[in-house]
Amino acid sequence: MKNGISVFIAAFIALGASWCGFVLAPALQLGTAKQTAVLNSGDTYPVQRTGDATLGLQVYRANGCAACHTEQIQQTGIAFEVVLTGAGKNPDAVSNLISTLKLTGLTKEEADSANDKITAVGGKVETHLIPTGADISRGWGVRRSVAADYLYDSPVQLGSLRAGPDLADAGTRLNNASWHLLHLYAPQSVVKNSAMPPFRFLFETRKIGDAPSPDALNLPSEFAPPAGYEVVPKPEAKQLVAYLLSLHADVPLYEAPYTPVQISTNAPAK
Amino acid sequence: MSDETKSCPTPSNAEPTATRSTVPMWVFSLTLVLLFLGFVYFDHHGGWFDERVYGPYASADQLDSYQPKSGAAAAIARGRKIYESNCGTCHGADGLGKPNQAPPLAGSEWVKAKGVQRLTHIPLMGIAGSITVESQTWNLQMAAMGAALPDADLAAVLTYIRSSWGNGMGEVTADDVKAARAAIGANPHPMSGDEMMKMPE
Amino acid sequence: MNDLSQQKIDASCRVPLLALFGGAALWLVVGLLLAVIASLTFHKPDMFADCPVLSYGHAQPAANDAILYGFCIPAALGVMLWIFARLSQTELVLPLVPIVAANIWHLGVFIGIVAILIGDSTGFAWLEFPRGSSVLLFAAFLLVAISAVATFGQRKERELYPSHWFLLAALLWFPWIYATANLLIVSGHPVRGVTQAVIGWWFANNLIFVWLSLVGLGTAFYFLPKLAGRPLQSSYFALFAFWTLILFGTWCGIPQGAPVPAWLPALSTVASSLLIVPLIAIAVIVVKTVCGADVHCKGGPFCYIKFGSAAFLLSGLMLIASACPHFSRIVQFTWFGPAQEQLQILGFFAIIICGAVYELLPRIMDFELPFPKFVRFQHWCFMLGIVLLAGSLAIGGIEQGLKNYDLATTLPFLRASTTGLLFLLLGSLLFAANIFVMTLKWKLALIKSVIAAVTAPLEVSEVKP
Repeated sequence: MKNGISVFIAAFIALGASWCGFVLAPALQLGTAKQTAVLNSGDTYPVQRTGDATLGLQVYRANGCAACHTEQIQQTGIAFEVVLTGAGKNPDAVSNLISTLKLTGLTKEEADSANDKITAVGGKVETHLIPTGADISRGWGVRRSVAADYLYDSPVQLGSLRAGPDLADAGTRLNNASWHLLHLYAPQSVVKNSAMPPFRFLFETRKIGDAPSPDALNLPSEFAPPAGYEVVPKPEAKQLVAYLLSLHADVPLYEAPYTPVQISTNAPAK
Repeated sequence: MSDETKSCPTPSNAEPTATRSTVPMWVFSLTLVLLFLGFVYFDHHGGWFDERVYGPYASADQLDSYQPKSGAAAAIARGRKIYESNCGTCHGADGLGKPNQAPPLAGSEWVKAKGVQRLTHIPLMGIAGSITVESQTWNLQMAAMGAALPDADLAAVLTYIRSSWGNGMGEVTADDVKAARAAIGANPHPMSGDEMMKMPE
Repeated sequence: MNDLSQQKIDASCRVPLLALFGGAALWLVVGLLLAVIASLTFHKPDMFADCPVLSYGHAQPAANDAILYGFCIPAALGVMLWIFARLSQTELVLPLVPIVAANIWHLGVFIGIVAILIGDSTGFAWLEFPRGSSVLLFAAFLLVAISAVATFGQRKERELYPSHWFLLAALLWFPWIYATANLLIVSGHPVRGVTQAVIGWWFANNLIFVWLSLVGLGTAFYFLPKLAGRPLQSSYFALFAFWTLILFGTWCGIPQGAPVPAWLPALSTVASSLLIVPLIAIAVIVVKTVCGADVHCKGGPFCYIKFGSAAFLLSGLMLIASACPHFSRIVQFTWFGPAQEQLQILGFFAIIICGAVYELLPRIMDFELPFPKFVRFQHWCFMLGIVLLAGSLAIGGIEQGLKNYDLATTLPFLRASTTGLLFLLLGSLLFAANIFVMTLKWKLALIKSVIAAVTAPLEVSEVKP
């Protein structure tokens, strides 16, 4: 190793390998992604955010929300559940059989064998896919996050730290705009013991004019402004809330399959 | 305190040198063993660069086997979406049809036929001329609305139509649609009800 | 080699290094101050509820960037220039270029930090600086690299010393990753969707782990044998560590559960576990070189470098642990990650660079440090600060992961980490005091000599007839 050039070239190749692997390859593989089809429906996913929600992502970025919140649901496994949809011609035999079988928390093979046994005596069954994992049992989401969830985000705010809960599916879990506004202005007014810093700078406390503003927050007394004043959200606060409400990662996709509850209940009557 | 900051220049003013003792074999062996284990791990968890395989799924085959089967409920849900955007404007979301626009699908003998061949041909070729539905004659045009849909989607929408609004008939498979397409060939032309009756159910 | 030529080499580095170190010392203080401000939110959440500029989401990334881009990189560039000049046994080539570059760099950092504080951050971890500031940093780095490579090209000893490989690779790698990341995710036409995140992780790992390791180890492998008074053990071990570090280290960084196709995190996990190989090699080098040396460090630069090397091994082990599938389920998204980053940046890199600066500063200035006692005092502050900061964050992180990300159980640890930051801040003030007083003394001496030259009676020969 006497020659600087040879070190340079060898280092160039070694370092360039990771550039090809982690920059070029993902850009080629994921960079051309388009909307995908939602499983078992004619819908495409994801849909563009509304104007306010798109601006809200910029409020989220500017205030560094990603320093404390992630937007990625983890999934560690998948379980199967066999659900009886029709007893068929021999209901007694089916119900006797079912009482002897384990129908939830199955592996693929167990689900298939239970399926075969019940079908053999004339029962009709459906197999449901239930993603498992700590995030899903916390209720933060229904399935793992995948690349399609972020197709229209720029910048993509995945985050790396959970000082607060995950927000990937926040719009489904917390779908109330006035709750979000109260939570941003005074987190402890809606979540006791919340350690989230209040974002009062996104709101304006002003004297009530001729009539109270329809936007004014309905705060509990210990957080309320002095009498004669009202707290109204600035446009940024409304945009941020629109963004939070637009966070949905709850449709089944090919790469993250699961059985949504509503499809079996909302299926049209025969 | 000040003495070591003062004293260091003397021994260390010379540039450092390095000895030339070699790296022992066990370090290389360890590297090779770890590389092998890494390969095994990647084989089990890497999905071999497939863009649709995400953890915890191990491979494209496994993920494929986990997809909800094209069972009745799944196909019906999907068929309804396609029906509402493609067929519902004329035939109605309730399948009852609209006067002077389209005949009903609910209870229609064309839909409730035992075989699916005629039913499959209608969206692929369209209708021209008179057609009798539930003993009422309709004289309208229908374009080949389903010709542009993929086989699976057309099958899903036909399954939805056959199983909805009290029709209570069975599934139409993608293979049925494929067979009909093959029978029509490259030259689709709209048919009248009478022409269609010549075809087997 | 005689002392006179060494003095000339050292003197050639004086002004460029002072320009780099002066701003760096200031940014270290500012960065740690911002970090303390950010951590006040853990004590009183509504502290900055009406003041967006200092709220956690603004102050925290600004603190990280001020320490990394403001202190670590320019200070390391200064140390690199001196090492290149010394190893080449020539005076610094193009000394004016790094002086200009230092000013451009610190201007870029200033613009970037102000932008983050007023809400103009780009939203990508470690890449928060807006475009204008990134362009300045990129240009400044290239200028310093030109001077460093030109000095390297002038070397009298053709044989390369191990530090050369590490530092040359670092000079190549920073512009590469910084340009890639800025062009692909910060520019006006960013790549779409989650590819942004993949490139962001790749960049962050390659900067925080690979680049800092290359420069920190290159510096340590230069100073350890020099201060221990015995040769590095050995050249081949260092070569082995170098190649395994860049071959495996550059592929780390994609977290286990990332919402990307499985092959990306799987490759990262494999690469992280392979990092144990360079860690073993580096541990062998450090232990074999340091043990048996008949030198007592007494809190001097030797102590700094030894502590930094130990912190590197620990931070590397933490990186491997957090990529390990079972452990990662506990510590992902917890403060364990920041603990590893802080250990890498402050515990390993900053302390090695501070030690190197204390070692070389008296030589390039040709007079002693104004407060030599501060060196030892700062060493204690840094050690205590880093143990408190990284230790409380790491334990708090594990606790947080076991307790469902419940912030209430983590808060006591986060509050303890503030104490660590205060110790670090005190240490950085001592560092800044030494650098600034030294610069001031030098400037006064310079002014005095100019005045003396102006007021001196003219030589007879210069008087025109």
